[in-house]
Amino acid sequence: MTTNRVPVVDGMFAETADGARLLGSKCAGCGAPYFPKSAVCHNPRCREKRIEPASFGPRGTLWSFAVQHYAPPAPVKYDEPFKPYALGLVDLRDGLRVLGRLQVDKLENLKIGMDVELIVARLCADKDGNEVTTWMFKPL
Amino acid sequence: MREVAVLGVGMHPWGKFENKSVTDLCRDAVEAALKDAGVEWPDIQAVAAASSRFSGGKGWGLNGNDIVEEMGPTGVPVYNLSAGCAAGGNAFNIGYSLVAGGLYDIVLVMGGEKMPKGFIQMSGLEETTDPEYLRQVCVGMPGPAFWALLCQRRIAEHGTTERQLAQIAVKAHKNGALNPNARFRQEFTVEDVLNSRVVSWPLRLYEICPVSDGAAAAVLCSAEVARRYTTSPVWVASSTVATAQFDDGVPRGLATVVPPGLTYHSEAATAVKKAFEGAGVGPRDLSFVELQENTVYYELAFPEEWGLCQPGEAEHLVESGETLPTGKLPINPSGGFLCFGEATTAMGVWQVYEMTEQLRGQAGARQVPNAKVALGQTLGLGSNATAVILKR
Repeated sequence: MTTNRVPVVDGMFAETADGARLLGSKCAGCGAPYFPKSAVCHNPRCREKRIEPASFGPRGTLWSFAVQHYAPPAPVKYDEPFKPYALGLVDLRDGLRVLGRLQVDKLENLKIGMDVELIVARLCADKDGNEVTTWMFKPL
Repeated sequence: MREVAVLGVGMHPWGKFENKSVTDLCRDAVEAALKDAGVEWPDIQAVAAASSRFSGGKGWGLNGNDIVEEMGPTGVPVYNLSAGCAAGGNAFNIGYSLVAGGLYDIVLVMGGEKMPKGFIQMSGLEETTDPEYLRQVCVGMPGPAFWALLCQRRIAEHGTTERQLAQIAVKAHKNGALNPNARFRQEFTVEDVLNSRVVSWPLRLYEICPVSDGAAAAVLCSAEVARRYTTSPVWVASSTVATAQFDDGVPRGLATVVPPGLTYHSEAATAVKKAFEGAGVGPRDLSFVELQENTVYYELAFPEEWGLCQPGEAEHLVESGETLPTGKLPINPSGGFLCFGEATTAMGVWQVYEMTEQLRGQAGARQVPNAKVALGQTLGLGSNATAVILKR
């Protein structure tokens, strides 16, 4: 039996030969980044509003983090039994500030300002035994 | 714009009430507010009600209509306002505007909520176009984890200690223990708080507000009407509503732009700034503040973001007891969200009740000495914020 990898939500991230990327959009007029992708530029001072597809990542800096200690209610997904996990807010080099899970061996090693890399990794298994994936950040 | 007075306030105590509907809670609050004001139900010329998120309102947030049916249909116009957890403040602003603009002379403002158990689930929508759904399903980030993340950043910037965070909860319960309408009235020690379980590091259970059922109401009127009923009304110095700036550094969905500077909670900062301008007062004029502390973190962040103290000073104010009712910057003398629990859409009206009691000098053992000017503030989903300044 082979295990399929399925994204938690379609079309939000990709694995390329060059590392993981978040799939969003960017305004060619003002440079504002959007994730997930946006149909229009939301910058009220942008007069051009030229939205183009854009991908973001993989390098960034950890702006802050938290460690989730209790099992949150649905629709949050995790493998049983619940284990505390870390999540963070990351400033990517390309101007996007984005939330994501943090993949770390030791939670106590997390430090604000540390360099992190975008990855696609296992979130949990679904009921059919598929591996559900999402984007995460891994300390470099 | 006309001057507007808070003529009467009423509240149903906060708690969990299995056998009462949200309309039962609201009726109690409205009847109390009418009695306090000295007016009768048919005197009410308009109703501005917070739309409940979780209860009543015929599933459409028609909670103002529910209370009109309950009190007796008089043909009165009803405005149901939805603004997440800022709905109560939003309803107050509309009630205020209707009187200030001269459309009506006596207006009822109310908010009530019955909350489901557990921490607040923001959306409930299971759509991949809903940012809150994506946050939960892709990242696994419930509300307390987001507050924890903001708090962790503050710790890195200002060296906030676990003890200082706990002291804020201790202060809240010291006040709440003296408030007969509060749900959680026991006092805690710093050790009690530090021994409560970690919910989302660095925040512990006693440092995060629970959810409650509750309802509050206020009767607002013109100065001319107020003079007929009382010689010492509480005045609305200003009431404001705001939403966030584009370059706010706090993402409302999954992401935002890396902001050019330090801009957090810009909706709250804007609402408060406009409230100061509208009232013609500044931070130094405030006798006390009732702010939305979903977690202790906000009692450190908000006062600085609003210019009530210097950056990095908030921890010191807490440690030295300056945020107690007797201090130089009393914060949440009511006991706050920590001791009442958040009845989301009712909180903005509840704050007006608490502020009015203080300004009348009727707050008993938790009274802020010689309270003259007070600021209230709410923050809600959708980047909604409100502020109100009351004075005597």
